[in-house]
Amino acid sequence: MTKTLEQKNTRYLLIWLPLVLLVGSILFYVMLVFHAHHMQEKQLDLKQANIWKAFTLHPESMVLHIAGEYDIDADKRIRNDLPNQPRDTSLFDHEKKQFVEFAILTRQMNWKGKPYGLTTYVSSKEVSHLIIKVFLAEIVILLFLLLAIVLVNRRSSQRLWKPFFLTLEKAAAYDVVRNPSMHLDSRTGITEFNQLNHELNELVEKVNTVYTNQKQFVENASHEMQTPVAIIRSKIEFLINDPALTERTAALLADITAANERLSQLNKNLLLLAKIDNNQFPQVEQVNISLVLEKILENYQQHYENFPALTKSIQPQITTVANLSLVEILLSNLVANAVVHNIANGSIHVELDTQKLVIANTGNEVKGDPEQLFERFKKGDDASKTTGLGLALVKQITQLHQLRIQYKYEKAEHRITVFFN
Amino acid sequence: MKLLVIEDEESLLQSIVEYFTLEDFLCEGAGSFQQGIEKMEDFQYDCIILDINLPGGSGLDLLKYLRKNKKSEGVIIISARSSLDDKIAGLDLGADDYLTKPFHLSELFARVKSLIRRKYASGSDTLEINHMKVDLLLKTVEWAGKQVVLTKNEYDLLLFMLTNKNRVVSRQAIAEHIYGEETDNLASFDFVYSHIKNLKKKMKEKGCGDLIQTVYGLGYKLSI
Repeated sequence: MTKTLEQKNTRYLLIWLPLVLLVGSILFYVMLVFHAHHMQEKQLDLKQANIWKAFTLHPESMVLHIAGEYDIDADKRIRNDLPNQPRDTSLFDHEKKQFVEFAILTRQMNWKGKPYGLTTYVSSKEVSHLIIKVFLAEIVILLFLLLAIVLVNRRSSQRLWKPFFLTLEKAAAYDVVRNPSMHLDSRTGITEFNQLNHELNELVEKVNTVYTNQKQFVENASHEMQTPVAIIRSKIEFLINDPALTERTAALLADITAANERLSQLNKNLLLLAKIDNNQFPQVEQVNISLVLEKILENYQQHYENFPALTKSIQPQITTVANLSLVEILLSNLVANAVVHNIANGSIHVELDTQKLVIANTGNEVKGDPEQLFERFKKGDDASKTTGLGLALVKQITQLHQLRIQYKYEKAEHRITVFFN
Repeated sequence: MKLLVIEDEESLLQSIVEYFTLEDFLCEGAGSFQQGIEKMEDFQYDCIILDINLPGGSGLDLLKYLRKNKKSEGVIIISARSSLDDKIAGLDLGADDYLTKPFHLSELFARVKSLIRRKYASGSDTLEINHMKVDLLLKTVEWAGKQVVLTKNEYDLLLFMLTNKNRVVSRQAIAEHIYGEETDNLASFDFVYSHIKNLKKKMKEKGCGDLIQTVYGLGYKLSI
């Protein structure tokens, strides 16, 4: 599944930042505890030095035991293996009726040849509380930091990527046929985007040039081809009037004529496609589709001796705003298609209402991708009868008028639907 | 009848000139803009067939020149450019008709004939050949005084064949003449056959003999 840049970025931050912050806070905690213990040790040391000094100055008046402060034990030998390190212990506070945590340090002292055990106490409670408070404060700060980083990051990436999204929007609206102008700002303030936009501008310019050239080429080629076709036609007209015409040459001539007519038709259709591409049908009007369709159907029924059985349900007065010539071409191509790609004793069904036009005809299934039928020079099985441009024209015209077209093959019928909305 | 054809494609020019000469036209050709101007200045024609793309200038400019000098020749434009704008521009400039390449010579001939009839046949709107009498205004046909009732398509067909009488006219030319641009999509010429069949039948009923012959499946010939 794809996500937006922002989602991806936030996700990334939310996965890795807490991890980093967690490791950081563990480190912080360890160091905090270490420093607190170090401080306690120093306190114990200092206290011990002070008490011992006081004791050696006035041994008689000195109280030897103060709970939670110190113990001086005369004639006591401390085991040498005891570490010269503070230890934790707890004493019972009789007033508060609870155990209180202390850190203690016991050392072996010698005075006037006698051994003394000196133990000093420092309460751990305050230090522990301090550690917890500092640590909590740190957690709060880190959480705040996390939130701030994510928010700042989102804001800044929104700002950073803004030119990119603008570019994306414009690129999406670009269409080589209908919307070929795409000018991207190459002064976005960000080098990479400037570069991107610059490159895209150049690319689009190239594409447009190539497309224009190609359109121009098709149009020019078709125009150029018309003259030779006209010459062949005129010469054939002389030939068929030749008194020396034999049946064999007549048959050859008939084939040449048919081929030349096909060439001429191909040419006309190509030219038509090029013209639609070149937007040479700009004038639109209110077109009564029902009337045009009826007229075309009638014409075709006259044209073909074996016109397939026709059933129709055409609502009257269905109108649309379009170019009349193009509507005629569209409808007559669809009808012609239904006649040519039919079977013996087949049928055609035509339906027109406010929503759609349906032309269905009996016929053999087309092999391959049906979408391809609307491409230029993609033909079904009756290839020799057609130019392969009829449905391409249909597609082009529907695209120009922003109509949706759909092809289906079901129940041994080709069914083409044009939706008007 | 004097005719000037201005067309730069020599082979096509030759065909047109030959076709019209065979039909008893006094026909001259010009292959360029300059030649066209010279011929137009020196002679008077009944009709000018004009190509738009010419070496040395546009046929439309020739047309402008012609109309500026108050020459009233009938002008038919033949052009490879079939765009509507060209058509409108040509007709606006005073062309009488417009034909897109590739065209059939029989069609061009019919257009020229029709133009000349419109322009010069003062008063007389009937066409009489043998027993055939065609009223061009009412679009009615009589054979030996008896009216033949024809559909519009049959009438068009008959008039076209009559204009090109005693010549073989191809099925394609007939199809295009009757249905115009729409023949684009007609792979079948069934309808030409059935129209001819009906026309022959109706003529026969009025006592007209074998008016139209089929020529090897290439086309038809009206002999009169």
